[in-house]
Amino acid sequence: MGDVILENLCAATEDHAVAATEADAVDRMPARWVAWPGTTEQTAAVMRVATHHDLAVVVRGSGTKLTWGARPERVDLVLDTSRMDKVVEHAAGDLIVVVGAGRRLDDLQGDLAGSGQRLGVDPARRGTVGGLVATAATGPSRLLHGPVRDLLIGVTVVRADGVVAHAGGKVVKNVAGYDVGKLLTGSFGTLGVITQAAFRLHPLPAARSWVSVPLSRPDGVPNSVPAGTCAPVNVQALVQQVVHSQLVPAAVELDRPPSGGVTLCLLLEGIPPGVEGRTTAALDLLGAGATARDDPPDWWGAEPFRRGEALLKVTHEIAGLAHLLTALDDVCASTGLASHLRGSVAVGAVTVGLAGIRDPADSDDPAVVHALVRCVASLRERAPAFGGTVVVLEAPGDLKDDLDVWGPVGGLELMRAVKRRFDPERRLAPGRFVGGI
Amino acid sequence: MDARGLADQLRPILGEDAIITDHQRLRTYECDGLAHYKVIPALVVLVETTAHVAAVVRACAAAKVPFVARGSGTGLSGGALPHADGVLIVMSRMREILEIDRASQRAVVEPGVVNLQLTQAAQPQGYYYAPDPSSQQVCSIGGNVAENSGGAHCLKYGFTTGHVTGLELVTPGGEVVQIGGKAVDAPGYDLLGALVGSEGTLGIATKVTVRLTRTPEAVRTLLAAFSHTDQAGAAVSAVIGAGVIPAAIEMMDALAIEAAEAAVHCDYPDGAGAVLIVELDGPAAEVAHQFDQVEEFCRDNGAFEIRVAADDAERALFWKGRKSAFAAVGRISPDYIVQDGVIPRTALPEVLRRIAAISAEAGVRVANVFHAGDGNLHPLVLFDDAVPGEAERAEQVSGAIVDLCIEYGGSITGEHGVGFDKARYMPRMFTDDDLDTMQLVRCAFDPSSISNPGKVFPTPRLCGEVPGRHKGAHPLTDAGIAEVF
Amino acid sequence: MAHPDQTHPDHSGGPASVRTGSPGTDAPLSRTPTPLGEPAFDGHRPPSPELVADCVHCGFCLPTCPTYALWGEEMDSPRGRIYLMKQGLEGEPMTPAMVQHIDRCLGCMACVTACPSGVQYDKLIEATRAQVERRFRRSLAERALRTAIFAFFPHPRRLRLMRGPLRLHQASGLSQRLRKSGLLQRISPTLAAMEELAPPVGRAERVPERTPAQGERRGTVGMLLGCVQREFFPGVNAATARVLSAEGFDVIAPAAQGCCGALSAHSGRENEAQRFARALVDQLDQRGQSDGASVALDAVVVNSAGCGSLMKEYADLLADDPAYAERAKRFADGVRDVAEFLHERGTVAPRHPLPVTIAYHDACHLGHAQRVRTQPRELLRGIPGLQLREIAEADLCCGSAGIYNILNPAAARELGDRKAANVLRTKAQLLVTANPGCLMQVASSVERTGQKIALAHTVEVLDASIRGLPVQSLGVSDTSVLDPPNEVTRAAPFPPKKR
Repeated sequence: MGDVILENLCAATEDHAVAATEADAVDRMPARWVAWPGTTEQTAAVMRVATHHDLAVVVRGSGTKLTWGARPERVDLVLDTSRMDKVVEHAAGDLIVVVGAGRRLDDLQGDLAGSGQRLGVDPARRGTVGGLVATAATGPSRLLHGPVRDLLIGVTVVRADGVVAHAGGKVVKNVAGYDVGKLLTGSFGTLGVITQAAFRLHPLPAARSWVSVPLSRPDGVPNSVPAGTCAPVNVQALVQQVVHSQLVPAAVELDRPPSGGVTLCLLLEGIPPGVEGRTTAALDLLGAGATARDDPPDWWGAEPFRRGEALLKVTHEIAGLAHLLTALDDVCASTGLASHLRGSVAVGAVTVGLAGIRDPADSDDPAVVHALVRCVASLRERAPAFGGTVVVLEAPGDLKDDLDVWGPVGGLELMRAVKRRFDPERRLAPGRFVGGI
Repeated sequence: MDARGLADQLRPILGEDAIITDHQRLRTYECDGLAHYKVIPALVVLVETTAHVAAVVRACAAAKVPFVARGSGTGLSGGALPHADGVLIVMSRMREILEIDRASQRAVVEPGVVNLQLTQAAQPQGYYYAPDPSSQQVCSIGGNVAENSGGAHCLKYGFTTGHVTGLELVTPGGEVVQIGGKAVDAPGYDLLGALVGSEGTLGIATKVTVRLTRTPEAVRTLLAAFSHTDQAGAAVSAVIGAGVIPAAIEMMDALAIEAAEAAVHCDYPDGAGAVLIVELDGPAAEVAHQFDQVEEFCRDNGAFEIRVAADDAERALFWKGRKSAFAAVGRISPDYIVQDGVIPRTALPEVLRRIAAISAEAGVRVANVFHAGDGNLHPLVLFDDAVPGEAERAEQVSGAIVDLCIEYGGSITGEHGVGFDKARYMPRMFTDDDLDTMQLVRCAFDPSSISNPGKVFPTPRLCGEVPGRHKGAHPLTDAGIAEVF
Repeated sequence: MAHPDQTHPDHSGGPASVRTGSPGTDAPLSRTPTPLGEPAFDGHRPPSPELVADCVHCGFCLPTCPTYALWGEEMDSPRGRIYLMKQGLEGEPMTPAMVQHIDRCLGCMACVTACPSGVQYDKLIEATRAQVERRFRRSLAERALRTAIFAFFPHPRRLRLMRGPLRLHQASGLSQRLRKSGLLQRISPTLAAMEELAPPVGRAERVPERTPAQGERRGTVGMLLGCVQREFFPGVNAATARVLSAEGFDVIAPAAQGCCGALSAHSGRENEAQRFARALVDQLDQRGQSDGASVALDAVVVNSAGCGSLMKEYADLLADDPAYAERAKRFADGVRDVAEFLHERGTVAPRHPLPVTIAYHDACHLGHAQRVRTQPRELLRGIPGLQLREIAEADLCCGSAGIYNILNPAAARELGDRKAANVLRTKAQLLVTANPGCLMQVASSVERTGQKIALAHTVEVLDASIRGLPVQSLGVSDTSVLDPPNEVTRAAPFPPKKR
């Protein structure tokens, strides 16, 4: 039977299908086949094969975020989009691009830079464009350009039953019909296979400047902030000053390692005279110790994460930052873990790395498991104070299976209803998403 | 039980003066801002709380009676056109601004709050609500959510969907659900993304949490007059091509200028074949520099007069003409159809020429007002209903313009929504599979098809079906119930 | 798109009509209008179908309409009222429902200011009200009340008779006790409203038949004495005459003049209004009488917004009367509001400082109907030491609207409260406006809040400045100037009443 399936997959993809290897496992769940459709039509054919043979399918781009989300219940087929990597259309005059889902983000940025344009997303893990959309990846420039959901203007998707559908279009303003593109954004491949996407673009800025200020230096304390500068309340106060100012930063990032210096860094973009003026104003606002440079700090846009540790995505109300920092410190103190928070505090979306989980080999040590589980649970308990959510992106080994990765979700029944309509047989990444979807 | 029967059921819950059954009073609700289409609702109810809305929807669900929600009734696609056998749920009494949270840059409002009122409430704190449809002094936030409204400044600031972070929703089943909140990126499917712009077909929003935007440090507005729309279009291309993203670029042609002048005496330059309003906002230094660039581009492309607004009052005057354009057209023509097509911005000059050709051939005048920055056209097709045949010709011209937009890879609606008016054009822009996929979303939220049925999609999908391809005619068509346009 | 409607039988069981089609079904939308009785309007000056057709249903008028602000329903909005008129023109009958919504209109004309299509709603509502007055049989109580009102208000001599008793009522403390007890409110909100609105009766100052110009004579003007203004705000008339005289104008104010007819016209009592208008034209014509000799008048100056507004429309009102049409037009062309007139001609009398913070309230019939907004402000700002603050929701009527506050006391009260709150938020010492109705309404509304603010007519402030009087003469007791609130004077929070 397996041979028949492989045969059919090869037929659907012009011989771009093989039996899976260990390397193709999705979050430790082994797969049986891998297929590389080269076009939307081939993708549809692959999904028809999957339907016919009742295969569970997980979509993969570069695989950078395959370990995010809950572990899928089963994986029969890995549908790899890498061959669908063409730039279909780049209308520079209209500032839009239509691109295959398998194109890598870095490559796309390179294509666009030639015309002095870019796609306004800069997430830490840069895989394919399709993955970017499917995971709603976010980075520092989200503050100015908006999240990827607002940059996506059109999408081609293959449904679980193999039907090809389009939503949106090639123009930025478009309210014809439902915004299926947004539903697909962040859906982790559970509603359909994105084969092509259209995005709105932005011009590359003529000038950029990063202005940072350390918040924990005992001497040279910034004038505008009272003593004890890295106290959560004071961090928030400074962030609020930036947020309410007229600096119009392109990004505001906080780096808060478990020990050592806390840094607040703003990115200013625009035309040279404007950036110069705003840099001066920013230096003034951030106070003594603030510095400006033409390139980002080395931690900029990177995840505070190392293998063997856990990574959380935490959202918060902008004015909830102090509560979040306090909650994090409290929870870590009581569980013995160390946290490294980094992210877009002016947007209210940050990532938190949790260390002290020790050797992954210890991962079935109940003490360790309990620490992480308790940490996440406690943080979620305090969520009303900072007004956000906690999602586990990464956790070592099988630890993840003991965790409630997604946490409580509002409107879950509606989401289940949507899933039932789009994928009634639960073919696409079953179990990977919220509420066991 | 039919809709009228619901009146007795709802009276004790909503109160006597919230129930309208009198024929003449019902008729005042028979249309929204698109007065071409009128349907008298069987029953009108005015709700004041979420509990009211839930009670009404539950009653409708139990009786299988359709319902339509209405805000200020200013929509331009017939989205609030009532259902003859249904209940019209009027939200205009739910108009409290519940909270302005400056620290988190959010506001929480009831859906009947008027767009401009929200901005005015936030202004003293240095913030405002960015999406600004031209009808903002009367349109409601709930209506904005339903239509994913844009406005002149959406070029830089985006549409309603980028500004809503939370909704309290009454589902078509009558349940109250909280989606999102003040924080972004709620885990799970982006239900907000599906709901904003769903035109009342997925339920009724009873609370909206929106993002507030910092009032910019500097705002500079210029008005440039050109002899011809070609030149104005070229100026726009130059501006965008140079990497400048203005807050707004609007264009009006000669006929639209004439109407606006008659209405509000905006005093636009005489003899202008086209007028551009360009507004830049942001940090003062950036704005100053970019403004000079924009002025230069306008001059280079033939602007024969450029006015720079010296103060808020003058700026308001520049905008007055543009914002009153639709209603002002009523002074130069008894009737009109307003279109809302989108084309790639670079195709603007050509498309305008083709519209002019269509207009000349049919002998129907077309005034053009548009968001030049993002290619969203508002051709105003003028006619006199009293003259036999003119209405039909106007309708034809209207359809031809829509086809033109699709031909150029654009959209049939940029901000007014599909509603009732453009449902018949949907199959021109989307395939059956596309429409079928979208309707999966509708079936998920509203399996009984009672939430504003008959809008957006020309052919309703039977929600009991298994998704997939249909062979042959749609069963509804066979049964003589539905028509494919 | 001439898509006909469909109709349903109304709940009183009228004739059925064919229901054909709805969006989402196969059949096209269709309308079969079925008038259920005699059409609403007859052929004598009905609301004009052309004017009704000007409305494009855009809704820009809704947020400016006081009744929409109060109740949030389409029928009580200009757009909805025009729609009802349209229905009437299409043959629908004049039902109690239709009349209720027409009656509820304040006639403030904020919608006229807001309308981008230029719909002349003022003409429409007046024509419709006249039809209602003639063709609709009101209830006995309603008719009695209206008869009583119009037996008094347009007759200065009869109003004068009320002065004595009213003064006694106020002086005895009965008025205060009544208001405190809320007894009248329970018996009859209308009576309570009238009681509350009655201004404090002071000394009667009569304006002479002729007040000579001071200094160089720049012209001669006629002056309307009015009815309520004459008897209950005589100080305003006296101030008007003095100011005009100080600015170099002879003021001719024949005592024999009567009512201008505004209250009648704005309530649809067409014949009555025309009678008053003819009489006034005779009395205040270009060839004014003075000491037996006729004098050419440069203008007829009016200090009451409601009156001036109608007098400027006399040409329309008397258009059908061949004996008066011409004269009415000439007369109307010469009518000026006092602020308008002084602004037009320029002022020459020196101003003395008046260190006072004022809030200026645009009376609807001055701001919306006559579009006189900047002139009073500039005149007031011309007084050294005077600071003018704008009131939030300035375009929203105070609820006075002629006799509206007597006929619809509950609605007027709500609007009055809202206006009072907005006025008090300016923290001004003195409220200045140009209409006796507004003065009474805001005065009673402010009194209900328990707070105080002095009230004066625009012309009284000018008078005080010209004569070098202290601010106390305007009733300002607290001379400390309070700091203005931050930035814009925000509107008072007014969540709609949850029923």
